[in-house]
Amino acid sequence: MTHVTSKVCVVGDFAVGKTSVTERFVNNHFSGKYLSTVGVKIDTREIEFPALDVTHKLVIWDVAGSDEFGPTEFAYLRGANGYVYVADGTRPATLAAIEHLHSQITGQYGPAPFVLMVNKRDLSDEWSVSDEYYDAITKAYGNVYKTSAKTGDDVGEALTRLAEMIIDRELRGA
Amino acid sequence: MELPPHVVNYLQNEFLSRTRPFCFLIDENFRLIDSWGDSDWCGLGRLEPAADMREKVPFLVGIPVVEAQTFEFLEMPARVVVNVHMVPEDGQCYVVLLDAKQDHAATQSRQQSVNELRLLHASQRKLIGRQRELISELVETRSELDHHRREAERISENKSRFIAMMSHEFRTPLASIINYADFAAEAETSSNDVQKSIETISRSARHLTSLVEAVLDDASLEAGQLKLLEKDFDFVSLLNDMAAMMAPLAAEKGLSFATYVDPDVPRVIHADEVRLRQILINLLGNAVKFTLDGGVELLATYNDGRLVVTVTDTGPGISADDQEKVFQAFERGSGEGATGAGLGLTITLRLVELMHGEVSLDSTPGEGCTVSVHVPVMASTDPATSGAQILPTPSDDTIASKALSVLVCDDDEDMIALIEHYLHRSGYGLITSSSSSEAIDKTLKYDPDLVLMDCNIPGVGGVAAAKVLREHGYTNPIVALTASKLNDEQKLAFTRFFRKPAQMQELLTEIRRLTH
Repeated sequence: MTHVTSKVCVVGDFAVGKTSVTERFVNNHFSGKYLSTVGVKIDTREIEFPALDVTHKLVIWDVAGSDEFGPTEFAYLRGANGYVYVADGTRPATLAAIEHLHSQITGQYGPAPFVLMVNKRDLSDEWSVSDEYYDAITKAYGNVYKTSAKTGDDVGEALTRLAEMIIDRELRGA
Repeated sequence: MELPPHVVNYLQNEFLSRTRPFCFLIDENFRLIDSWGDSDWCGLGRLEPAADMREKVPFLVGIPVVEAQTFEFLEMPARVVVNVHMVPEDGQCYVVLLDAKQDHAATQSRQQSVNELRLLHASQRKLIGRQRELISELVETRSELDHHRREAERISENKSRFIAMMSHEFRTPLASIINYADFAAEAETSSNDVQKSIETISRSARHLTSLVEAVLDDASLEAGQLKLLEKDFDFVSLLNDMAAMMAPLAAEKGLSFATYVDPDVPRVIHADEVRLRQILINLLGNAVKFTLDGGVELLATYNDGRLVVTVTDTGPGISADDQEKVFQAFERGSGEGATGAGLGLTITLRLVELMHGEVSLDSTPGEGCTVSVHVPVMASTDPATSGAQILPTPSDDTIASKALSVLVCDDDEDMIALIEHYLHRSGYGLITSSSSSEAIDKTLKYDPDLVLMDCNIPGVGGVAAAKVLREHGYTNPIVALTASKLNDEQKLAFTRFFRKPAQMQELLTEIRRLTH
């Protein structure tokens, strides 16, 4: 059994649900109360890949929300093996923020595996991302998930996919 | 200035008590070399020498140990918030953890307020955006409605023109057919076969006239053109007319016919007599037409300013499905004897609604039908104002003064010839004209005892010609005989108004009355 440990950073605009998806993934728990993150929260969770004979420990950095990164945020991202971008499906502007953050991070640290969560899919009445736009970002980024931290829909799938991509990259050089 | 030692000492103690520094030294492989301070508050517990510190403090994963770094407000899995300072030295690195709980709590509180405010603004922007969308949709919808309204007005105007045109175009030839058929029927030389043929022509033409009247009435009602002409009239006399008209038709079919008038029903009421008569003819006509056995009854009551006329028959009745249809235009139900345009009840309903009344229908198939009309009408206390006109029955239509003359103005030669026949037979001298200007000239020249004027004639038209004659001092009666529909103001130009096809006998009676 191979043990892998990776640093994964969860980034995105404020109040998109970064802490909630992390809490859902790590503790399988959801709180509807909004509590803004200051600085960064560290959590860990292991995922086993029996087919690969790999145990993958993810050290998750849940970074305070922002649509523009400065030196403090870039310090948090240093040494990250992958990213979870989170946007809010009821606020299309948060998807535009992801485009900008992705550009900043890639420019600073180079390309790295990532997944994009368009979160809050449970709020179907307020959902504001058109199918056309969703298709376009899926085509542009790949690995885009409509998630719900509240119901847990596709949260685990997205992070497992990221863990796989990191393994591919770190162990196989893919 | 150099701070006194006791102040420096004070500040050091203050800093140490607030931040509770814990420091550990690691090699380039993150192995613990040594540590200083209390590690319990930050949840690290006892640290074993040479332990891989990435297991204890996972934030070290991925972090290079050869560079000086600072992480502010780092919340560790034990939910402790620290400020981290990494100080490298000779391939090793000092990692200092400072308790940041107080600063973090204060910053979090401020950030929470800011973010909630931003969320509120975002929500407001979204609402404003939605409001703009709704306003835009509203403007668009209003624009569409305006367009549809203009289109409906245009269609209505076209329909009005069509009704006016068709009214004239239908009535003129029908008037000729009916009147010439009547004329031919009076000829003594006709054989029985010819007489029967003439009667058939006359009957068919009258039926066609009634259908045209119904269609045009319905179209006028639908277009909102029909206006009620209310006046005082003898309602009981109207009911007597209805009985006189319907009783023979009922008797022909072996049906009984009865009329009951409640004592509370006022004799003279203020309403549109012509339209009320039309409603009663429709209801009674249907009842007689569809009833095969038994009879037809009419009951009139009056209560609290509402006149209720109920027509009951013992006919086949109307099924529940058909009851919904019979008031729709061109629906004739599925019962036997369903002939005609299917407009009678439609027109009845529209007329009653125009009078601000209601129509109710109650029927069980096989047990007859009851239709009630409820209309608000005012009772008149002055019988002298009754509009009911009882025309004298002509005892001898050949009696007339030969000294009397009538000027007839019509551009239809057939119509002139027909009128000429009847007037000559009644002893009137005749002056004819085919245009309004000719009619004016001849009237002013010969001063006839009466002018019989078509309205839709070459020149200025009949209405304008009548006004010109009045302006030139012509005071004798001017009677309109036209297929055109006149409004109230136009009717004022004439002494009397007859619509083609008119009953010649009725026209002659009126001419005699006006010229004597």
